[in-house]
Amino acid sequence: MTYLRAILYDAVIGFNLVVLSYFFLGNGIYTILMLLSLRATWMHMREMTYQGLDAMRLSPMTPPVTIIIPAWNEQDVIVNSVRSALQVDYPDLQVIAVDDGSTDMTLDRLVKSFGLVEMDGAYHPTISTGSIRTYYINPAIPNLLVVSKVRGGKPDALNAGINLCRSPYFCNLDADCLLERDALLRLMDPIVNSDRETVVSGGIVRILNGCETKNSRVTKVGLPRTWLERFQVVEYLRSFLLGRTGWHLVGGTLIVSGALAVFHRATVIEAGGFSPDTVTEDMDLIVQLHQWAADNNRRIHMSFTSDPVCWTECPSTLARLANQRRRWQLGLCQTLWKHYEILFRRKYGIVGCVSFPFHAYVEGLGAVVEFLGYFLIPLGILFGMVSPGLLLVFILLGFIYGGFLSVGAVLLEELNYRRYPRLRDLMTLLVFAVFENVGYRQLVLYFRFQGVLKFLAGSRRWEKVAHIGAIAEG
Amino acid sequence: MTLIFVLMGTFLLIAVALIRRWQQIRFARHVHTLHHRYRPVLARLLSGARSAGGIEALRELPLADLELLFDPLFSQRKLTERQLVFLEALCADLGLIALWQSRSAAGHTATPLYSGDGTPGNHPGGAAGRYLLRAKSIRNLGKLRHRPSWPLLVNAVDDRHPDIQLLALRSLGAMGAPESFPFLRERLHAVVQRESTSPPLAGLQAAMVSFDLSCAPALLPSLRHPDRHLRLHAMEILRTMVGREAARQPRLILIQELLSPPVVDLLLTVLAVDLSAEVRARVADVIVFVADARATSVLHDLLIDRQWFVRLHTVRALSQWRQTTKPQHLEVGDCLHDPHWRVRETAIQTLISFGQKGRDHLYKHFLTSPDHNTRAQIVEVIERTGLMSVLVEEYSTGTKGVEALMVEYLASDTAPMGISGVLRTLEPESRKRFLDRFLPYAEATMRFPEETHTEMGSSLSLQQILEFPPHLAA
Repeated sequence: MTYLRAILYDAVIGFNLVVLSYFFLGNGIYTILMLLSLRATWMHMREMTYQGLDAMRLSPMTPPVTIIIPAWNEQDVIVNSVRSALQVDYPDLQVIAVDDGSTDMTLDRLVKSFGLVEMDGAYHPTISTGSIRTYYINPAIPNLLVVSKVRGGKPDALNAGINLCRSPYFCNLDADCLLERDALLRLMDPIVNSDRETVVSGGIVRILNGCETKNSRVTKVGLPRTWLERFQVVEYLRSFLLGRTGWHLVGGTLIVSGALAVFHRATVIEAGGFSPDTVTEDMDLIVQLHQWAADNNRRIHMSFTSDPVCWTECPSTLARLANQRRRWQLGLCQTLWKHYEILFRRKYGIVGCVSFPFHAYVEGLGAVVEFLGYFLIPLGILFGMVSPGLLLVFILLGFIYGGFLSVGAVLLEELNYRRYPRLRDLMTLLVFAVFENVGYRQLVLYFRFQGVLKFLAGSRRWEKVAHIGAIAEG
Repeated sequence: MTLIFVLMGTFLLIAVALIRRWQQIRFARHVHTLHHRYRPVLARLLSGARSAGGIEALRELPLADLELLFDPLFSQRKLTERQLVFLEALCADLGLIALWQSRSAAGHTATPLYSGDGTPGNHPGGAAGRYLLRAKSIRNLGKLRHRPSWPLLVNAVDDRHPDIQLLALRSLGAMGAPESFPFLRERLHAVVQRESTSPPLAGLQAAMVSFDLSCAPALLPSLRHPDRHLRLHAMEILRTMVGREAARQPRLILIQELLSPPVVDLLLTVLAVDLSAEVRARVADVIVFVADARATSVLHDLLIDRQWFVRLHTVRALSQWRQTTKPQHLEVGDCLHDPHWRVRETAIQTLISFGQKGRDHLYKHFLTSPDHNTRAQIVEVIERTGLMSVLVEEYSTGTKGVEALMVEYLASDTAPMGISGVLRTLEPESRKRFLDRFLPYAEATMRFPEETHTEMGSSLSLQQILEFPPHLAA
């Protein structure tokens, strides 16, 4: 009995140490990223006050870009999404919408809305994909091509779009997103004005719920009504403004949102295109590009800027949120597992030595550590191994530190972008930032834990998140 | 203790966010008042109306407020040439140009003028704030195209801050003062040959292409340089300058004097056979505009270059062919047999751009070629460019000849999708006429597939098409 107790004691103490390391590593690195992001976004926004986008818009050196919109059963949102892409302010733009074998009215609505007619296309696949069934054009809209292909999943649809595009850069845009008019110019700015070989440029995704739209454009920014959506607004701000900006600054970009990103076409083709191995093909491609570049001695650069904006609908119910977060966690685990050989290899630089291990431990394994912590630490108190007072202080510290980081993200938003013009919205965001770690974080953690379990069970199923129609109403 | 620090930090961030919002509200009110009062005066002065009272009213404003008032003109609005003239005179009259020049010259020692809270006098940003003023001053001088300021901007290209360098380059490009071009060329040499890491190469190129074509002879040292990278960048700059000029003057044909004889000689005799394929690829874009007897044979050689992208660039450049000397469509027609599909596709587009002769050549190739892939590509381009609609409409009006035969081939065999798509968009009357003519042909095709083209279809036989009858070749 004493022997068992000793083992249990050691296990609980060991686990507590893991929890402590998780807490300090996660929060410590995020604090550093926040400080870096504060300075970088401040500098960037100031630059934009005098640089503007006219020089890029008018320059003959600005390269052509193709926006690729993969869609599967997106009948409610696809028309507005394609329309917003066509309205983008960019000197040389093509739009390719790829209907990935939808079983609803996605294709019919596109054909009807844009007056498309069928055409006979010639397909030259550089990346192998499912076959193209039909091509649609409207000669009056020469920069729009719609293709219908057999169902092969989002990566396959994106690869088909890459095969069809002729420009040196392409931008992938989710079918449930609305692009801001100047988003592409802003995305291309770091590519055009950099002497480094910038092969990826990512932008920020903001939440559309609560905003007013007209003619596929956001006309009035506001906060959503429900607490669940408001917490997600804060969460997105923290993730994009703080996390991704920070990782970009230290050269450790591991995730660029697939909802809005520009890629150098030839490099993506050389790296093998989007892979169907994971359910988060965007993250997988980024890691794949890092790995490919290091293996082939290519010095590539990935950029993230937080002012090119696309607006998307966030889940408004718990069930939809659960679907989304399970898929994200599953994709994260799949990607980390697929590229495990990067881990702690000096050859892969910051990505291999800092960013990948951090994501593996804090974002991947962290879901398990934190989830189990909520059960095992009280067990420690029950067996008298952990002091309740100390635990209380630790939990309080966890909540307050989490709040500190979220408030930091709201501050970043306020200092630089001020997208929520009403003072009441700012106050609401601050309140939700403070309380995000009490309740909402645990809820999301539970879904992430389920995602890890799905990964362990070998699931590869894509959980589609239904839309409430915020884009469709526009 | 840590808990208290984190708690205090959170409150501090909240306070900063709220104070910042309050400051912004005050600042926005001040700007709004200013614009409300003085914008009508400014609009009147920019329209060319004489208004001594208006100028006096503006003179009474502090320089900081004047800058606030003028800032949107430089950062957002597109001004007409006429407005720019008045704006320059007004800025000079109000002392703003002298102020911007002194800031550009003084670097970081310029006197701060404006505070973020709306009070003129002290700038809160310190050195960083002064840098912002300097950046805006350089931008404004560039927007005004104030040529006397070019030496200041050339100095600013060597500023320690990369943004100032980039802005100075843009402003120099916008001004286009020929005296500054050799300075930029020297910096191009230094950057490409890695003697210096600044200014940014992309910015340097973008600035140099904005200069007038009369500056091209100043590129000779770069075009003759033994370093192939330098030759490539110079060639890229030259071809973009020519491209800009061609876009401005649709009838542009460069005579030797405009581009200078040594540049033309160098292009035709040295750069067209450069060891670097990248350089050769860019030569055609300039040569197509050169009125020189040697140009045709040089282009011919480039069309059969061993590198596919040289052939691609050349065949694309030929779509710009505007000279009345030897037509290029037969050589471009040879590219329809090219092993690379991108070259074939571009050749099709170029042939279409040649007008009737090019289209006839394309149709002849389509009707006689056994190569299924090229035929599919021709169909795709014909449909995407809207040529299919033209063909179908002409067929329905009863035109005969190679176009009629083409439509019958397309409708019965190669492009049923495209034809039916176009038919759906036709007026009922035109559609009826089309069907009245086509259906007897289609019926005959089903009965006598071998004889149809001579018996029932268009007036031309396939044999006649192969021989390319004189009335089509004319």
